[in-house]
Amino acid sequence: MLFGRKKKNPIKLPDKGVVEWKYTTCGYCSTGCSIEVGLNEKGEAVTSRGVGDADVNRGKLCLKGIFEHELFRSSGRGKVPLIRDKRFQAFQETSWDQALDKVSAAIKNIQAEHGRDAFAIVSTGQIMTEEFYTLGKLARGVIGTNNYDGNTTLCMASAVSGYKRSFGSDGPPGCYEDFEHTECLLAIGSNLPEQHPVIFWRLREALEKRKFPVIVVDPRVTMFAQMADIHLPIKPGTDVALLNSFAHVILKEELADEAYIKAHTTGYDAFSQLVEDYDPFSASQICGIDEDTIRNVARVYAKAGAAMTIWTMGINQSTHGSDGVVGINNLNLITGNIGKPGGTSLSITGQCNAMGTREWSSCSGLPGYRALEKEQDRKEIAEFWGIDAEFFPKKRGLSQTDIFPAIETGQIKGLWIIATNPMTSMPNTTRIRKILEKLDFLVVQDAYADVELNEYSHVYLPAAIWAEKEGCFTNTERRVNLISNVIKPYADSKPDLWIFNQMAQRFAQGQKMNFPETASGVFDELRTLSKGRMLDYSGMSHEKIEAQRGIQWPCSDGSETGTARLYTDGRFQYADGRAKLIPLPFVDNNERPDKEYPFWLNSGRVVEHFHTRTRTGKLGNLNKFSPTPYMEMNPDAAKRLGIKHGSYARLTSRRGDAVVMVQTTQRIPPNMVFVPFHFHECVNRVSLGLLDPHSRQPAFKQCAVQVEPIDDQEAAAVRNKAARTY
Amino acid sequence: MYKVRDKEPAYAFVPQVDAPQTNRYGKKIELVDKTDPLAGKSLNINGDTSVSDNPNRYKQHGFYFNADNCIACHACESACSEKNDLPPHIAYRAVGYVEGGSYPNYTRLNISMACNHCDNPVCLKGCPTRAYTKFAEYGAVLQDPDICFGCGYCTWVCPYNAPQLDTTRGHVMKCNMCVDRLEVGLKPACAAACLGGALDFGVIETTPEKREQLKTSIPGFPTTDITHPNIRFQQSRSLPREMKRTDAMPLRYERDQAGASEYRSKLHDQGEKPEWNLAKLHSREDPLVIFTLITQTVVGVFLALFLAPYFGLGELSRAANPVLQPVVLFSLLGLETFALALSTLHLGRPHRFYRAFNNLRYSPVSREVAGVAVFFNLLASYTLLSSFPALFAWLPQNLFIGLQQFCAWAAVLSGPLAIYFMHRIYRIKARPFWNHWQVLTSFYGNMLSIGSVLVIVIFAAALLFRGQSFSHLIEIMRWPLLLGLLLDGTGLYFHTRDNIRAGGEAAASHFQQRTRFGKTWMLRNMLLAAAGVLVLALSVTMIDGGWAYSLWLFSALLIIFSALISRALFYVLVIPTTMPGAFFWRNRGFQEHARETGLADMPQVGVVHDTH
Repeated sequence: MLFGRKKKNPIKLPDKGVVEWKYTTCGYCSTGCSIEVGLNEKGEAVTSRGVGDADVNRGKLCLKGIFEHELFRSSGRGKVPLIRDKRFQAFQETSWDQALDKVSAAIKNIQAEHGRDAFAIVSTGQIMTEEFYTLGKLARGVIGTNNYDGNTTLCMASAVSGYKRSFGSDGPPGCYEDFEHTECLLAIGSNLPEQHPVIFWRLREALEKRKFPVIVVDPRVTMFAQMADIHLPIKPGTDVALLNSFAHVILKEELADEAYIKAHTTGYDAFSQLVEDYDPFSASQICGIDEDTIRNVARVYAKAGAAMTIWTMGINQSTHGSDGVVGINNLNLITGNIGKPGGTSLSITGQCNAMGTREWSSCSGLPGYRALEKEQDRKEIAEFWGIDAEFFPKKRGLSQTDIFPAIETGQIKGLWIIATNPMTSMPNTTRIRKILEKLDFLVVQDAYADVELNEYSHVYLPAAIWAEKEGCFTNTERRVNLISNVIKPYADSKPDLWIFNQMAQRFAQGQKMNFPETASGVFDELRTLSKGRMLDYSGMSHEKIEAQRGIQWPCSDGSETGTARLYTDGRFQYADGRAKLIPLPFVDNNERPDKEYPFWLNSGRVVEHFHTRTRTGKLGNLNKFSPTPYMEMNPDAAKRLGIKHGSYARLTSRRGDAVVMVQTTQRIPPNMVFVPFHFHECVNRVSLGLLDPHSRQPAFKQCAVQVEPIDDQEAAAVRNKAARTY
Repeated sequence: MYKVRDKEPAYAFVPQVDAPQTNRYGKKIELVDKTDPLAGKSLNINGDTSVSDNPNRYKQHGFYFNADNCIACHACESACSEKNDLPPHIAYRAVGYVEGGSYPNYTRLNISMACNHCDNPVCLKGCPTRAYTKFAEYGAVLQDPDICFGCGYCTWVCPYNAPQLDTTRGHVMKCNMCVDRLEVGLKPACAAACLGGALDFGVIETTPEKREQLKTSIPGFPTTDITHPNIRFQQSRSLPREMKRTDAMPLRYERDQAGASEYRSKLHDQGEKPEWNLAKLHSREDPLVIFTLITQTVVGVFLALFLAPYFGLGELSRAANPVLQPVVLFSLLGLETFALALSTLHLGRPHRFYRAFNNLRYSPVSREVAGVAVFFNLLASYTLLSSFPALFAWLPQNLFIGLQQFCAWAAVLSGPLAIYFMHRIYRIKARPFWNHWQVLTSFYGNMLSIGSVLVIVIFAAALLFRGQSFSHLIEIMRWPLLLGLLLDGTGLYFHTRDNIRAGGEAAASHFQQRTRFGKTWMLRNMLLAAAGVLVLALSVTMIDGGWAYSLWLFSALLIIFSALISRALFYVLVIPTTMPGAFFWRNRGFQEHARETGLADMPQVGVVHDTH
């Protein structure tokens, strides 16, 4: 055996010189991993690591979390507020006072001239719960616009809507620990290993301990589909037919939990009558899954002692997104799989604090799962905030996807966008560009000055990012976790909470109300407002949350800790305490492939990127895994069209065109292409995004496109590179 | 000592289990016993002199990769890059994949690979500076960037693409097995970070909990014969018979119809057509194209110059050329100085050039450099002695002549020996296109052909100038020249034949020769054939005079130009037996595209421009 040098030199390994670790929660997806950020002697954030005893991630992190400390000094951050009168002028640097004065004056002018609702606010799933609550207070209680929504309309609106329709309230009833108890897992439209790798690891750990069937429904052969015991390569947008057919088999073969249905649901008759039409043969004609497989899966699911369903955007981003969620809830209600260990409908949420905005931002109603439509709720909040209840609208206003068309047609003149980038994230972005041009006033509040949306803004407010501030996030399993302040905000950027509070002070009504300065001060209001409700925070505090590495609500005053599951007693949030079985007639209204546009367009995430890459596109150790957009295409289809692996191709639809590099793979069917949604000027130039009637969420994943080879590859490369400023 | 994090979960610790005495290659797993002088020493990590009490400290450890489970989440490579503070363009561990089947019966097999801390570390053997050490502790193969001078030879010999040459820093870096973590009982950062239940780590030949296999092969992984790598696999799920790569390498992996054999690399012909791609003949190794050709030429000319008079070619003697011979000798010296300077500047850290001799025992690079240095010094001595005898008048006459003769004869021996060592550099098992005797016929062939034809051109000019015939010069010099061309041509013929027969990476290299550089290759073949025909015709007819001289001059150009193309192709065509890449990461095709289109200007793309 060789040992090389006899006299060995000392070994030098990189040492980041960490002197202090600070507790925080990951700011990317909603898995809710606990992270410690290491600071060196100079107080610089130099490393990240998972928290060993955090129940969610048990010391693990995905690649985005591993490099999260690099975000603080990533390129493109906003340093100072910027202003200009016209969007084609150059920005001028300005002070916070001047910028905020300009914004408040613009809001007042627009509202005075065109009415309160002519100024809209679109927020995010990225900021802290305390900030969401404060923004809600500002938007609903001070500015008083009813056109106030979050970008969660693009991701979780269907889940929210489906939960509300089935159970009478939002709130995912299950938790990750259900993997340890379930006897059958059905995953529909969820690419867990790519989107939520740490949740996937929890599932993998459960499977190592005890094998149970895993069934994956996805038109692409993802890694999850490959690992499944049964993979159902479904036709896009037909989940509801499949779910109806599962119910058909279960009812027909008397595999349903009759006692549960009788005790805890309403609407059984209409429901059973509807699913009668979805026999496996009829359903197979719609969704492309053969009838034997449908029967088999339905039986396996129904016969399992406990069975659970998880889903993500494959269900939500569809013209039947809300119905898909209801269909899943129907399936779990008839099999008695709600509120028991291993039996649940668990939506796997997208953004780090999508749950926080659902709970507290007042986007779709009032804080703490209260509704504008309920007089009692309006009264409670008005009283608590010290305003007149009549100031609130009695019905929810426009959602994000309706706000943009309202700008197009002139009802909305001014817009405040917080931490979201519709220039890349909305369907049909060429239309979005035209819409943004029409705004009299756009204020963009974002951590990144190079966010593409800034092209159209009049004021840019540089926000602090993630652990430059403090507050809470709620994760997919309702776990409220703490982000403590790790380092001070970059340059002259400010925490969103500070910005909202400063804005409130510029309105007469805001001056009269109480806007706590600190996150924990705001948190006290949440505790008070949630006391005794399903969404109960009253037993939590920032200190207790950190000590327990997150607490799942409900956690009532005096409780030691939180609650793993909702509806364990079978009592739901409808007045009668019962869940609803809702019949779901299926009509296929998608833009299906035809002669002119023969391919389905599917889009989705990749593990190394988050959303529109304003963060991950700057970090080389993430971005390098896909530094430029690509399109998965079946090699047989590519060959027919003369398109080569690794070359650029042109993607066209009835909306527009895009240039994208082709990756041929048998992972997808010959009549489909898949493009990650993260990249500017790419897939959303061609996407359609028909809206779900209940949730107003766009169907990003189903439309028809054509693919053409490009002769001038050099010009294509130039066009692609021009859109890659990061 | 590395600080274990609070409440460190159990999965992060290396399991303390019993291992067999020996590994499958017959080597002891316990590398040294406790009484060995190598035992009980501190690793001196960052100045920490403590000694770990890890009971398995002297056992060979290795990675375990369960290919059934890898989801390509990149957590392993990211944890590694984060811990080792690596820039985006460098990674000690990389995840690539192969895929097969057709929708929806499609399978993608992801492979995460770093250093395998081999029993036979070819990197360690190949390194001329002895920057590598295989430690008795854990059997870790570590490389010291402070010793490395950035020649990159270890990156050539490693079959797994483990050592990484950072061209921006000018030295190699590689996986260090996280020995700091091992000292406190923790698995390396990558294995502790795995989210798929795929990557694991432990004493070699031990199967992790809930795993069933201890294989040493999966599709895409090269044969273990080369280095006896310390990695074990599980790959129990059935795979399609043919697995393809997504990167630009024209390779696929196939097993026999029965499914009994292991997967072997095969050519992946996608119908590419012959092209020129002259610009792509350039590579980082351009200085080596020049260095090898010049050295071979210099040796060839010197051999002719010194030996020809012994074969009756008095026209070349010092007596016949009192001015020309010293001029030629000094030119050779100048050329070789230039070539050595080029090859030195080719290093990432040229100022450490003197370390090239550190590993004469194992490294062909050290031996080549030593051989060339000896030849160079002898050539210089001979040149001085023979050109300026007056300077050495103080020496006794016999000693002076003896010294001159010794230098010349020693140079005659050491020159070809240096070229032999030069050829050994390329006989790398992990680079099948190079691992062929053709390298030797090419090097000696060029030595003879370029050397001889230059001698003809130079001395025929002198003879013509004096109004004398040069047919006698041709009569003698045609033999080494024709032999050189014959060697070169024969070697190329068998190289091509054997590449095609060998299949795999060798055939893939040849395939790129026929397609990507197809037209350039044909041009080279035609130039060489034309040179052969012309030289043969001139040698047989023995024509003399001005016209004949211009034809000789023309054949010299043909020979030199074809040798230049040959040598450039030699460097750009080689396809190593490395692991499959992904669509962007570790895909040579994308890296090239990023450099050409300027995407590489953005550091976060993870591709750097080729620099020296």
